[in-house]
Amino acid sequence: MSASGIKVPPAEGASAHDHPQSGNPEKQFHHDAAVKSADLVHREIIRKNMESYDVGHMKGRSRFSDWEAARQACQAIKREAINHLDKYLLQFEQNVTARGGHVFWAANSEEARKYIADLAVKHAVKTVVKSKSMVTEEIELAGALEKVGCTVWETDLGEYIVQLRHEPPYHIVTPAMHLNRTQIAELFRDKFGEPDLPEDPQKLVAAARRKLRKAFFAAEMGISGANFLVADVGAVAISTNEGNGRLTTSLPRVHVAVTGIEKVIPRLEDLATLWPVLATSGTGQPVTTYGTLVGGARRPGEADGPEEFHVVLVDNGRSSLLGHAEEREVLHCIRCGACLNICPVYRHIGGHTYGTTYPGPIGSVLTPHLRGREFEHLSYATSLCGACTTVCPVKIDLHHHLLHNRRDFMRAGHGKASERLQFRLWRAAMLNPKLYALGGWLGRKGLRAIYGIGFSGSILDPLRSWNRKRATIPVAKQSFREQWRKGLGNSK
Amino acid sequence: MATVNNPSRELILNRIRAGLQVPVNAPHQEEPPRPFFAPIDNPLEIFQQECKANLMELTLTSDASASAKQLTSILDTLPAGEIFVQDHAALRSLIQAAGVTREIRWSSQGGPREVSQATISLAEALVAQTGSIFVTAACGGRGVSVVAPCHIVYGKTDQLIPDLKTALGDASRNGILQNNSFACMISGSSRTADIEKILVQGAHGPIRLAVILEQA
Repeated sequence: MSASGIKVPPAEGASAHDHPQSGNPEKQFHHDAAVKSADLVHREIIRKNMESYDVGHMKGRSRFSDWEAARQACQAIKREAINHLDKYLLQFEQNVTARGGHVFWAANSEEARKYIADLAVKHAVKTVVKSKSMVTEEIELAGALEKVGCTVWETDLGEYIVQLRHEPPYHIVTPAMHLNRTQIAELFRDKFGEPDLPEDPQKLVAAARRKLRKAFFAAEMGISGANFLVADVGAVAISTNEGNGRLTTSLPRVHVAVTGIEKVIPRLEDLATLWPVLATSGTGQPVTTYGTLVGGARRPGEADGPEEFHVVLVDNGRSSLLGHAEEREVLHCIRCGACLNICPVYRHIGGHTYGTTYPGPIGSVLTPHLRGREFEHLSYATSLCGACTTVCPVKIDLHHHLLHNRRDFMRAGHGKASERLQFRLWRAAMLNPKLYALGGWLGRKGLRAIYGIGFSGSILDPLRSWNRKRATIPVAKQSFREQWRKGLGNSK
Repeated sequence: MATVNNPSRELILNRIRAGLQVPVNAPHQEEPPRPFFAPIDNPLEIFQQECKANLMELTLTSDASASAKQLTSILDTLPAGEIFVQDHAALRSLIQAAGVTREIRWSSQGGPREVSQATISLAEALVAQTGSIFVTAACGGRGVSVVAPCHIVYGKTDQLIPDLKTALGDASRNGILQNNSFACMISGSSRTADIEKILVQGAHGPIRLAVILEQA
């Protein structure tokens, strides 16, 4: 069932955006990457959005007297939390349950889905409003709730837009970043039956507000994510701008917060560091409009609020990362999206191409651990430029983790035989200068011959993957050694 | 204490503990922490500046009578209809001084209704660094700051706190989350930039956030 019972036909081109639940994710990735990187409209939309983000991000950073010190402080907070994860999770649980809240520990997606769907049945829930939560995408919660008869409304504007298009979020912070106002206006006109809706962002937001407002006041269950779980006070911290998170956690009878176990932080005061750094890295804001803390259900004497409060702590493979000496710090991630925004690969192939809940550099590092080796190809979806590492607000060494994943993948014997052969040949050539020179000579001659008969980019071209869609890579007339001997080495 | 059937709790905790037994390759050498925000020694000035940047409406008033006058002028700009007010002596007195004739729903009667044209509340604290209003469930509940198109906050200058660190430290020490099921640091009106990164106010919550700040 779709939101509001609106019948939503499959969006045009939706298949290209679907998660590759079946088939071969690697082939799907290469296919979609080729399609998206050649889609000039898509690239223009992303370029404009990312340029706008870049300006805001740098302006936001300038508000700090020492941005590096802020990153270092965030890193220290997350390191302390992750290195004492059991202690802080238990402290969080104790504080929540002492005030009547419920904490459920889900080992995997299925357990989390079942717990929440059972809650919906128990409370005779018909309408669910959701604020943005990537973990609920990860565990594919909406489908499970629809199966027990609930209508599920995504209430973050971007999430609502992609829900209407039957798409997963394109970006972890701005889910509809890949669409322009013309496309969104067309979607709303079609789905809302308002043919005169103009392409004015203000009018489009107002139209969505009208639709979603009814859902907020009708819903019996509100589902939120959590940016942080504050152990010392037992509260869920949610950073939002639209106010949908506020309404989701205020109006329905039951509030369920769904989040990963790695979101716990030790102290309330840590938010004085994490809130500004998260907002700056996510959108360039000094802080988000609403820094909400929810510690339980409505208490006696309070004017409003839910009657029940549940927190679902999802493991789903996260705990296994703790035992990776090198990669434990991946659990420090605060899901700001900064590494996606700066990544030259993400900027060209877009978020849907990854076929994962978490796209971009952090997704490429994390997904093989959470979803298995069929996503190992994402370790190669990088230029290894290291830009992601330089912007990460908790200083995760992202590009080196991609290399660690590659190494572990090859050591486990999962690499392609052809790749192994290529590297053996490369190794032999690197150890033998004459062999290296011979290889270079053969390569230049061979490429010239192929180019000469007009077969550049053809199946015969070893550089086909580049040459078939781009200007042919020129072949040097002389080897590097020859050029060096003729004076290249003396040039300044 | 609430109980939940938690078959995987011990399994997850055991996995975590087993994982944490693995020593990290290169123990990180912590650098000594350094300050990363400039100190705030003029909170009122900074608060005014940040409220403006947050697109909030801030009016500094000299006394209760000027505050009442300001409240009237804000309410005069709103469509006719019910307003929702935190049930507190200071606000009852302000409402009376302003001579409000609209229908009023008080927080002691429950949460705000969808038809509310405006909500009026106090704040726990005002944070200069980010131009934020810190509210809790004690400030009229949860919906008061998000349901209506206009949220009006009545504060005093002696509630100004320089920065987030101080505000959250105070909240922690004073047991704010022990005494309230909810708290929120509000830094402007509801907004979105999900369409082409263009800022639109009033996404789901208030389009206007007005602060009447009275000299203490």
